[in-house]
Amino acid sequence: MNKLQEVYRSIVRRDPLSTEKGKAELVFLNVWLHIHPVKVKQENFKVRHTFYLGFISFYLFLILVGTGVALMFYYRPYPAQAYQDMKDLQFVVFLGSFLRNVHRWAAHGMVVCVVLHLCRVFYTGSYKKPRQFNWVVGVILMLLTLGLSFTGYLLPWDQLAFWAITVGTNIGGYAPLVGAKIKEILLGGHNVAEGALIRFYVLHVVVLPSLVVLFTMVHFWRIRKDGGLSRPVWKLEGEAAGQNAPMSQPLVQIGGAAAPPAPLRKGTVAAASKDKTYGLMEVVTGKPLFETIGPEESDDEVFSFPYAFYRETIAFLVTLISVMAVSLIWNAPLEELANPAKTPNPAKAPWYFLGLQELVSHSAFLGGVLAPTLMVGALLAIPYFDKNPSRRLASRKRAIWVFTAFMVVNFVLIVVGTYFRGPGWALTPPWVHVTGHE
Amino acid sequence: MNRRAFFSWSVAGLAAIWAAVGVSLGAAARFLMPSVFYEPPQTFKIGNPGDFSFGAPTLLPDEKIFVFRDQEKGFAVASAVCTHLGCTVQWFSSDDRFHCPCHGSIFGTNGEVAHGPAPRGLEWFEVTQARDGQLNVDKTRIVPASYRLMVKV
Amino acid sequence: MKNRTPQFFFALSLLVLALLIGAIWQASSPSWKTYQSQFYRLAAQQEPTAAAKDAVLRSRVSIRQVLLPGLQRVDRCTTCHLGVDDPTMAKAAQPFTYHRNVGPHPVSKFGCTICHGGQGLAVDKTNAHGRVEFWSQPLLTKDYLRASCGRCHKEGDVPGVPELAEGRRLFETHGCRGCHKLNGVGGSIGPDLSEEGANHRQPEWLKRHFLEPNALSPSSPMPNFHFTDEQARVLTFYMLSLTSEQMGAYYSSVRLIPSPEFGRKLFTERNCIACHSVGGTGGRTNSPDLAGVTKRHSIGWLDEQLVNPEMISPGSSMPAYEMNSNERKALIEFLNIATVDDARQILMGRPKGLTVEAALIEAGKQNFSRFGCVGCHGLQVQGGLPNPNSQGGEVPSLLHVADDYTKPEVAAIIRNGKMPPLADAKGPAPPLYMQAWRQMLTDEEVSRIVEYLWSLQPKKDTAW
Repeated sequence: MNKLQEVYRSIVRRDPLSTEKGKAELVFLNVWLHIHPVKVKQENFKVRHTFYLGFISFYLFLILVGTGVALMFYYRPYPAQAYQDMKDLQFVVFLGSFLRNVHRWAAHGMVVCVVLHLCRVFYTGSYKKPRQFNWVVGVILMLLTLGLSFTGYLLPWDQLAFWAITVGTNIGGYAPLVGAKIKEILLGGHNVAEGALIRFYVLHVVVLPSLVVLFTMVHFWRIRKDGGLSRPVWKLEGEAAGQNAPMSQPLVQIGGAAAPPAPLRKGTVAAASKDKTYGLMEVVTGKPLFETIGPEESDDEVFSFPYAFYRETIAFLVTLISVMAVSLIWNAPLEELANPAKTPNPAKAPWYFLGLQELVSHSAFLGGVLAPTLMVGALLAIPYFDKNPSRRLASRKRAIWVFTAFMVVNFVLIVVGTYFRGPGWALTPPWVHVTGHE
Repeated sequence: MNRRAFFSWSVAGLAAIWAAVGVSLGAAARFLMPSVFYEPPQTFKIGNPGDFSFGAPTLLPDEKIFVFRDQEKGFAVASAVCTHLGCTVQWFSSDDRFHCPCHGSIFGTNGEVAHGPAPRGLEWFEVTQARDGQLNVDKTRIVPASYRLMVKV
Repeated sequence: MKNRTPQFFFALSLLVLALLIGAIWQASSPSWKTYQSQFYRLAAQQEPTAAAKDAVLRSRVSIRQVLLPGLQRVDRCTTCHLGVDDPTMAKAAQPFTYHRNVGPHPVSKFGCTICHGGQGLAVDKTNAHGRVEFWSQPLLTKDYLRASCGRCHKEGDVPGVPELAEGRRLFETHGCRGCHKLNGVGGSIGPDLSEEGANHRQPEWLKRHFLEPNALSPSSPMPNFHFTDEQARVLTFYMLSLTSEQMGAYYSSVRLIPSPEFGRKLFTERNCIACHSVGGTGGRTNSPDLAGVTKRHSIGWLDEQLVNPEMISPGSSMPAYEMNSNERKALIEFLNIATVDDARQILMGRPKGLTVEAALIEAGKQNFSRFGCVGCHGLQVQGGLPNPNSQGGEVPSLLHVADDYTKPEVAAIIRNGKMPPLADAKGPAPPLYMQAWRQMLTDEEVSRIVEYLWSLQPKKDTAW
């Protein structure tokens, strides 16, 4: 028994979780968990503040990596085999159709959640100083998510995949100067063929996931260094309006006073408390990162374990349950084998690009060049051109309206492109069912 | 709720999660086992009994088997794959032996090693008669060298 | 911390476990396992001894498949259809029934879907029978099943499936090629039919389309040919056989040996008797007699002669009749046994002997039919098909073409095509037009068509 205890103690070295020290050590001694702060602010974790959209997007990514790796055991990225492997996954591989469904629905879900997360961050003004760069990293992550969805879309090599990517790469090809060259690099040629399939596969399975992992690491790290999750707007009353995020830990004082200290003036050192333990990184000269030194703990601070971990786990379970339930009920689409000689009418890009395709149907330059450039440019510029320090909705009416209008227009364009466009891209009511064949 | 109740709910929850992890690992293992093999089948029909001659065994090169037909004792099917390093052996009527062209292994009429580097004798496969009268070989079933199938022709 | 969080957590984790088990249960109980167990019980009943029964009941339950790289497919039908090669299952209910008359097409070498259609990769009934969206070749019903023979046996007639030859004949004589391409030759007004058999048209749709094109394709300019029900049926057979299978060498090397009867039919149709006598009857003096010709010349030489008479016998006026290799084999088979009686019988069917010019005009007439000109210009060359917004409003008759054009002009129109002049210059282009045939017809063939057209002119009265 002692030996077992010895082995256990060599792996798990923290104090018991019933102690405060143990709760802290669980977080900062653990490689998987130490991105978390030891303590978090309860109000930040309320569902109605973030809706856990960031967490959900990340969980969906994990689910996609897991199911994606599983699918890789049975999928060969060559035109002669790809479609047959999809059929094998559908019919003979154990849990093949379930895993494929999970992968597909999680992918669509991730695109939706990433966009909703962007909206939430905008509406709560959480992109403002000092979180501007994290917003930029987020936009990059969104573009990578769209890239992953797009590259994965081609892999089944059915009519839906083949023509969606033909349309999509043609939209991209409209970019001036570089468009044709980028299209050539993506396709490994001038048309969608076996060159495109293997390149999209490598992008989908290696390149883009690695970039997502790298940027996610930056994104999470910046959350910590920017002072943690943003305060919900309703908590900004207690603190000064337009409060910028402080460091989460007060500075060390050598020597101790017992009483909780009064609000501090700039340049002073916070009083230490005798029942706390502090870790010291290093002593250097220079100014602190943030001008304001935060007060002692907020009134709603709790340990990450178990408060935050419980909620994060529940968010994960809800995500998993939703994806699994949807996958058990609805099958991912698989149309006929890709046929370069036979274009379906209409041929549609993946749904998140249908807004652009709708614009392209009016003007190639508008839809293929102007709109995407302006959209991405505008998104990236938001935190740097927004001079309003307030995060409250009431004080940001114009920004809220502009952003909402932008989102609604996008949504409407996508809905029109999905449900109201029939053969020849003519306006067709959605209840007129068009098949490509009798 | 008190600490006890809290504790048991969370333990139960964790237990369910660990159960799910265990079930997932099992499912993952089954997932990785192929349900179909893109290989030539291990059981196959080789034709009607009347197609095979008596005396010297008939070699079926694609299936890599020898079909013996004995007037009194019936049919037997032996593997034509040398147990040394996998070359296809040949039957020589001159000495009633199987000779391997690669490293000189020699096998007798019962498949036993008579000479050479082969570590074991040739395998004998189960042969049965299917409902349509054809002979059915099952390479997944190894039988002793004495196995014979009597057929009514 | 919320009081109910731990319960919530427990409920959710239980739900995850339940869904996982649900997914696994769904994946572990496919219908084919039930069918296999049923089959083994049925098969065990017929075993004489308890030991044998036991052995059958212990058989492995697994997916069965036939790998057919030469036919580019994998068929898993035998996962449920376990009795196809078991004669004792002749009276069993489907899916266990024995397959009679498989003949030279054993399941182990041909699978099932090449003849029956369906989706070989699937293992559940609905998907495997292919009656789902996005599978272009569903299971064929008994009525049309024999059409599949034409998927491999493309040339000549197929014993037991006269519908294929008849359908093909109708196709060639009613000018379908005028609007529809088949294997690269034909017009572009209608869809290419080279793969019509793989286009997931249901047989009933095809048949109805032949009977009433506009009922199923409302804006199509395809005329109603007033086919009988039987004609529509055989044409449907022919359509269903039009697939381009890429077959490995084993499959493409196996061909029917064409019958001499078929060769006789060709001999009659192509009017060989016009020039060649057989045993002294028929023909004219300058062309060789064909009795016993297979003993004087090798099969290869005869075959080449049929393909390219000019090259083999320079100065010959024998036209190249465009027969595929099976038709040539059949013709040679017939010549092998042709006697003077055959010649007499054939001649009796003809009112008078044909001159060389008449034979060439006959060849032109056959071209006019085969390449589809009759499809638009009519079986009696009378024109009359509606062609909206063209001058005259319809496809012109060619009976008086010599009045308006010279022979080179007509030849040029055939070679280069012609858009009909518009009745209303601002209106839409007429749906029917003359397309350029120079890529598909040789100059010889074009000039024979022209000669044929000129032969249709009523003889002019020289004395006015």
